Order: sequence, then structure tokens, then C-alpha cells
Amino acid sequence: MKKVVILGGGFSGISVANKLAMKTKRKDVGIVLIEPRDHLVYEPQLLFWAFKNYPLSKFTKPVTKVLNPRVTWIQTKATKIDDTQRAVELSNGETIYYDYLIIATGASMEEDKIGATHDDNVHHFYLPKATEELQKSLSNFEGGTILISPTTIPFKCPPAPNEFAFLLDNYLRKRGIRDKTKIKFLYPLLRAYPVPSVAEKIQELYEKRGIEFVEFFNFESVDKDNKKVISLEGDEFEYDMLVLVPPHEGQEVIKNSGLGDREGFVHTDRFTLKVKEKENIYAIGDCTDLPVSKSGAVSHFSSGTLVKNILSEIKGKSANHKYNGKTICFVVTSFRRSLLLDFSYNYPPRRYGIHNSFIYGLFKKVFKIAFFQVLVKGYM
Amino acid sequence: MCLNRNEVKVMSDYDIAIEIDARGSFCPGPMMELIKAIRQAEVGEYLSLLSSDEGTRNDVPAWINKAKHELLEIINEDGHDRYIVKKLH
Ligand SMILES: Cc1cc2nc3c(=O)[nH]c(=O)nc-3n(C[C@H](O)[C@H](O)[C@H](O)COP(=O)(O)OP(=O)(O)OC[C@H]3O[C@@H](n4cnc5c(N)ncnc54)[C@H](O)[C@@H]3O)c2cc1C
Repeated sequence: MKKVVILGGGFSGISVANKLAMKTKRKDVGIVLIEPRDHLVYEPQLLFWAFKNYPLSKFTKPVTKVLNPRVTWIQTKATKIDDTQRAVELSNGETIYYDYLIIATGASMEEDKIGATHDDNVHHFYLPKATEELQKSLSNFEGGTILISPTTIPFKCPPAPNEFAFLLDNYLRKRGIRDKTKIKFLYPLLRAYPVPSVAEKIQELYEKRGIEFVEFFNFESVDKDNKKVISLEGDEFEYDMLVLVPPHEGQEVIKNSGLGDREGFVHTDRFTLKVKEKENIYAIGDCTDLPVSKSGAVSHFSSGTLVKNILSEIKGKSANHKYNGKTICFVVTSFRRSLLLDFSYNYPPRRYGIHNSFIYGLFKKVFKIAFFQVLVKGYM
Repeated sequence: MCLNRNEVKVMSDYDIAIEIDARGSFCPGPMMELIKAIRQAEVGEYLSLLSSDEGTRNDVPAWINKAKHELLEIINEDGHDRYIVKKLH
């Protein structure tokens, strides 16, 4: 019997575990998941949750409810991978051995590296606790300057800060305090989004909605005493509320095991999803250094390739299935509207969709049902 | 001043402290790699960025100008450009 060990039970780890469980027999393949958290979060909802209070349970599910019962879940963290011994050290003191290892540990949100907290009115919406604080601050907000800025690139869901700006504008209008509020969108590039055609549309909408765009702002630090944010280029802006994308890095276990780049993202073959220069180790999702966005959509579109390659190896064949970089992305431009983008390694992003369609905006919320019932369970 | 030459420059002309190979990476990859490297470099050091992305020709000179570093040359090599940058502060 072969043993497949999966590190990380976010969307990537759980959906791959479930797919493997469906495609193999218990007597042939044992599947073990290492994951410290007991709930899976539908992260796209955090963006909307920042503006409206409802129970977190509306968009989280216990791991036990979404994991195929054939998978053995060990609720702990991996601390070190030793590929020469095919072993993983765990924080509960045990060591687990594998025939095949799948790394799906996601990106670490390095909140401490911001140098300020919600007590300084510096916020983010990338983790539930932080989003809850932002929600409270926004509901008490009565006007002033709100700045939005990424810190490091890459970060999860590239359009998320743009989407936050659009939703914030909507929210402040509904509350009747938009005219008392300046919104500034600070961004590392010359345009407000990496893809020029999308940036053009976004900047047109920013102009219409009175959102000021500041180009070439590469976050350097926060001066919390003087309520200023400072860039590498030497610019400074004052804020009443600062909403950042927190710094993203790979997890400690990757850095400790020498499997990643400077930031700790796993060196991954963009086609086969094998960890570069290693045998029997694969990586998927936000933990990788793939030249595509860090998104659930990428995990979804690449998971089939990863599973097929592992199954081939188990049968003694070579891992020659290839992921072509295919993904899609919705950019929310208000509570009810969005644009659809389509990418692959072979062509730059293409933009579709009528901006003022109701369907796309609603799609993101309705998608939650499909996320928990179909995608996570590995049915697609 | 920024020269744009259609010939391969002899690399020993510059004492390159950091070379960034961003060939094959789409915009904004090459520029973000350069920004990361500038953060790590010492003042006065030279960096060399290799990029095959067309958009880099627009973005990198504009960013260098904004961030007040120096773009010494853009050298057209086989299938990519080489940007020579000096960190000034
Ligand atoms: C606000 C927001 C909006 C988003 N919107 C979209 C969207 O519209 N569309 C889209 O496609 N994507 C979106 N995303 C991105 C998407 O949610 C992520 O890309 C996706 O969840 C990545 O899944 P993952 O499993 O690779 O990583 P994660 O979900 O981060 O999971 C990693 C797991 O690994 C575990 N782990 C970490 N370290 C260890 C360790 N040492 N040992 C064991 N386990 C460990 C963690 O506990 C975690 O459960 C959004 C994200 C955010 C934050």
C-alpha cells in the first residue's frame, strides 16, 4: 500500500485529498491530511463580510464535514520535511513517513511585519479576526481619509484590493458619508491593476466614483504615531483608516526545509506541479511559486493534473500530465457587478463580460454553495 | 541618461551585484523582481534585469525615474532586454 501525506487542509489540500479518496481504493492508497485548523473558510466572503455583520459560520464549515471519511486527519502542524528520509516532523512530536507528499500549506499572512494593528486603525480583510476588527471600525467610521494599499506582491486574489475600494465606495454612499470621505488607492504599478485592459476599466470606474489612484506606491512602512503610510519611492500619505493587504510569505515549514524561494514559496514545476529537483513531492495552491495568481481558481484548475500525475506514479508510470496555467477570475466592481477574466500560461489575461450585469456579482456569493458542496468535495 | 543599443554589451563594463533573470515572466513580474532586488541591494551597487516582456520597456524606466535611481542602459540581447540599473539612495 502507498501512503500519500498532504500538508495543509485549506481549499487546495482538502479538495486534492477528496479527489484522491474518490479515485483510489482504501487497500491500495492510504491518505493522511495534516492540518491544525478545524474549520475551512470560504475566503472570498471575507471581502463582503468587512461591510456587514453576520455569523462566521455562514461561510465556514468544520473540516470533518467537508473531508472524505477515508482520509485520516491529524490535527497538528508540520514543522520540517526531510525528503531524503521521506519524513515529515510534526509539532505534536511525531514523525510521519510518506511515499508521496503533497504540500498545500498556503501563504502565511505576516501581520506582525506591518508594524501597526487595528488599534492604530490599520486593518486588513485577509483573516477572519482581522476582518471582524475592520467591520467594527467601518461601522463606527464617520468620515475622513481611507487609504488602501497592497504591501508585498504576490498576494492572494490580485483584484481583492480594487474590489475592496469599489465596495467601500458603495458602502459609504449607502451610509450617506461618502462626501465626507476621501478614498485613495495606492498601488505598486503605473496602473491600478497588472493587466492593462483591466486597469483601464478600473481606473475609468475609479474616476467616476471619486476614488483617487496613486501610481508607483510600493509600501515601505507605517508611521502609526503620525498616521502616515510611507513608500519605497519616498511618498507619504496621511490616513484616518489604512486598509492593507498583509505581507504574504511561505510557511515556516517550507523555509525550515529549504524547499522554497527567498519568501518561502515552494519551487514548483509549472506544468507537472512536482517540487523542483525533488522526488515524490508535489505542491499546489498558494504555497507555490507558480507564475499565476494565488487563487482558489488556480488550485481548482491545477488539482486534476496533480492527482493524475500522482496516480500515474503510483502505477509505476511517469508523471507527464501538464497544467496549462488555465484559470478564471471575477473582479467585483460593486455589490452586484463584476468583470470576468480568463488566463493561461499561453496567453495574457482576456476580459469578458458586460460590466453592468447582475449575474457576475451575485455569482461570487452563490458560488459559496458550489464551493462547499462540489469543488471542495472533489466532484469536479 | 538611458541608452538603448542593438548590440551585446560586454558585461565586465559593470560590476553587477545582483542579476535578476525574469525572462518568460509576464508584466508586472520583471518590475516587481527588480523592486525586490533594489530593496536588498546596497547604495551604489549595479543591478541587471533580464526581461522578455514588452511591457517592461514602459514600466521600468518610469519606475526608475519615479524612485530616483539610475537606468544606465537597456541592451537588446537575443530574445530579451537587459536593463542595467544603479541604486542611488
Ligand atoms: C479576501 C479574499 C478574497 C478572495 N477571493 C477569491 C476569489 O474571488 N477567487 C479565487 O479563486 N480565490 C480567491 N481568494 C483566494 C483563495 O481563497 C485562496 O487562493 C485559496 O484559499 C488557497 O487555498 P490553499 O489551500 O492553497 O491555501 P490556504 O487556504 O491558505 O490553506 C492552507 C492551509 O495550510 C495550513 N497550514 C499552514 N501551515 C501548515 C503547516 N506547517 N502544517 C500543516 N498545515 C499548515 C493552514 O492552516 C491552512 O488551512 C481570496 C482570498 C481572500 C483572502
